[in-house]
Amino acid sequence: MNNKNYISILFLILATSVASAQVKFEAKVSKKKLGINERLRIDFKMNKDGDNFVPPSFADFDVVGGPNTSVSNYSRNGKRSYSKTYSYFLSPKKRGKFTIKQATIEIDGETYKTFPIAINVTAAVNKPNGNAAASDLASENIHLVAEVSKANPFLNEAITVIYKLYVSPEIGVSSNWREKEIPRFNDFWSQNIEIKSLNIQTGTYKGAEYRYVVLRKTVLYPQKTGSLKIEPLVMDITAEIPSNRRDIFGRQLMTKVPKVVTAGSRTINVKPLPEEGKPADFKGAVGDFSFKVTTSKTQLNATESLQAKIEVAGKGNLKLFQLPKLTVPSSLEVYEPEHKENVRTNLGGMQGNISDTYTIVPQYRGKYPVPSISFSYFDTATESYKRITSDEIVINVLEGPTAATKTNENSATGVKQAVNANTNTFAFIKTASNWSSIKTEPFFKSKGFWSLVLLPFLAIPLAIVVRRKKDERDADVQGNRTRKADRLAKKYLSVAKKALGKKEAFYLALEKALHNYLKAKLTIETSDFNKEKIENLLAERNVENAVVLDFISILENCELARYTPITQVTMQNDYDKAAKTISLIDKQLR
Amino acid sequence: MRAFAIILMYCFSLFGFTQNNQAFEQANALYNDGKYAEAVDKYESILESDVHSAELYFNLGNTNYKLNNIAPSIYYYEKALQLEPNDKEIQNNLAFAQNMTIDAIEKVPDVGFSRIVKNSVNTFSTDTWAKITVGAVLLFVLIFLAYHFSYTSSKKRIAFVTSIISLFIACFSMAMAFQKDNLDKKDNPAIIFAQESRVKSEANKTSEEVFRLHEGTKVQVIETYNDWKKIKLSDNSTGWIPSKDIKLLKDF
Repeated sequence: MNNKNYISILFLILATSVASAQVKFEAKVSKKKLGINERLRIDFKMNKDGDNFVPPSFADFDVVGGPNTSVSNYSRNGKRSYSKTYSYFLSPKKRGKFTIKQATIEIDGETYKTFPIAINVTAAVNKPNGNAAASDLASENIHLVAEVSKANPFLNEAITVIYKLYVSPEIGVSSNWREKEIPRFNDFWSQNIEIKSLNIQTGTYKGAEYRYVVLRKTVLYPQKTGSLKIEPLVMDITAEIPSNRRDIFGRQLMTKVPKVVTAGSRTINVKPLPEEGKPADFKGAVGDFSFKVTTSKTQLNATESLQAKIEVAGKGNLKLFQLPKLTVPSSLEVYEPEHKENVRTNLGGMQGNISDTYTIVPQYRGKYPVPSISFSYFDTATESYKRITSDEIVINVLEGPTAATKTNENSATGVKQAVNANTNTFAFIKTASNWSSIKTEPFFKSKGFWSLVLLPFLAIPLAIVVRRKKDERDADVQGNRTRKADRLAKKYLSVAKKALGKKEAFYLALEKALHNYLKAKLTIETSDFNKEKIENLLAERNVENAVVLDFISILENCELARYTPITQVTMQNDYDKAAKTISLIDKQLR
Repeated sequence: MRAFAIILMYCFSLFGFTQNNQAFEQANALYNDGKYAEAVDKYESILESDVHSAELYFNLGNTNYKLNNIAPSIYYYEKALQLEPNDKEIQNNLAFAQNMTIDAIEKVPDVGFSRIVKNSVNTFSTDTWAKITVGAVLLFVLIFLAYHFSYTSSKKRIAFVTSIISLFIACFSMAMAFQKDNLDKKDNPAIIFAQESRVKSEANKTSEEVFRLHEGTKVQVIETYNDWKKIKLSDNSTGWIPSKDIKLLKDF
């Protein structure tokens, strides 16, 4: 039985050896690049046994171990395979580029040669040999990358950070990875966008084909200007690296290497918003918005309520600025606004609308304008400020008490309605006008005012003095008489006095004056005017004889003067005498 | 010659008044037809001829109210009240216009003695007080002289007492006139015309904002410096405001 088996196997071997006559003889190195403190393994592998194996001269290396010979011989599905390997462990003597030359062997009488291999020996490495191969491979083939959409955004402009894990197709990653350090975004407003399932996608990283998964997406709004640092994401990953060993089924065994990967920290340079042209009412809104102010109604009665809504819709940092405040006339009652946000966040940033709803209750009748409200924002697309101004809304309160009176409204009276004159209406224009000049001089402190105030006071001493003088005069009887006579003489002799100097005229006037005097005093007619009669009449009135004679003599003088030369002095004397006589007569006349 | 000139001038002014009356009637008609903007122009053309009246200001206030111009309507009502302080209709419509203003400013009330003094001073205008003074002085002088010249002791007694009373009245009203004049000089109200004005702590743009005022609010102007005016509100807070934002009720 045994013999039969051996024979059949031998036959099989012979048959296959004949069939696979192709001979392979190769040289393989564990690495082509190594540090000077590392070791190198070189395998010379053949698939058919041969003789006279001559290794190359390892002149630049020390042979640390070897040659080790291993032979494997197995059959699969009736196909026999054979391999024989000579292995050497080499240690480089110095740095540089070396070539391991050919090795030769004789198989079936023919000589086979390997290709020469170039080896690069570099400076010493930290982790010589050991398990280095696996972890090095892991770090070369696994990359965690943070992709930032914009490295120099404006303040409050949305940017996104996407963390991707790149894994090369050569190795695998076991699924029990976890985030060791979650990045904190100081000085940013951040929102994480949830990723529901990890989809493996293919892409390129540094020109090489890779598989990648998106681990994390975050939307960031920088809240500070200057260079801001995004802290790295650190992950614990178990990498599965194929080893040289194979399992019983010929599959490569995986070496599991724990690995910490980080996405390097990124610096974001945040630009401040331009100061130039910054509107006064700018409250930090950045993005692209629309703005409107609406009221639920514009006509209502007092104590009813209405809603005024201030709404900003669009794309941008909606949650990060304040809505402009509603200003209304003070006589409207306004309650605290209700703030509503309807904002979705996706990779593009925040989108949706925010609104403040004010409840307003007018108390009195009248018209109440809600002034226009303006809203400014910074448009990142055009890099300029934009302002939207709402229209002015007038709220018309039709019925209700007026503010002017603020009295208690008449309480409800029975069935009968009293007819109350509605005095609280807006009054009509006046139809007639009294015009006055705009420029009026003030009366107070004017000259007229002061003189009117002070002059009456001056009148008091004046009046007193005048009164006193009058009293004095009244008391002086003699003086009064004289003054009266003087006045008479003046009255009658004024014409004569004017003619003083001209003889004819003077005496004519004098005579006439004397006659007039007598006529006035004695009531005599000109026709019965003669000296005797004058004498009698004057004597009857108790005039002294001497005075009467004087009077007569003056009359005579008047007649005489017409025919005689008279000097100036005589004329004056006659005048004085006439005046004196008249006054004397007047005094004595009863 | 002079008398003639005066008559001529009077005739001219009479002519001017009739022309203003015509314009006034036309403006009233425009108002009644709801053509408020034209009415305002017409009314203002009357003001340009240097005449005014409480009625004109009142109508201007009404027209501006209808046009929803808050500040001008309050301004003209206040003007009207300066000429006719006790007119009920003006007060009523001013209250309507004040409903449209935004600022609610509490009034610090005068209390006690100062209120009594203020009220009594404000009963008459300065010129009325001055006229009362002149009348009382004349009365005093006449009665004093009557006292001085009358002989019976009963007459003398009555005359003396009345003259002293009228002298007292004269002094009192003179003091009141001065007081009122002083008050009037201090009283320099203005209306905010800018829709919103920032009142600063100092008379320059860079200084800190104290508060904000809105169109139609009445303020008192205390001081002027360059293009800035120091204002005081009825709650006694003060600040500086750009001159262009306000309009003085007393134009000099």
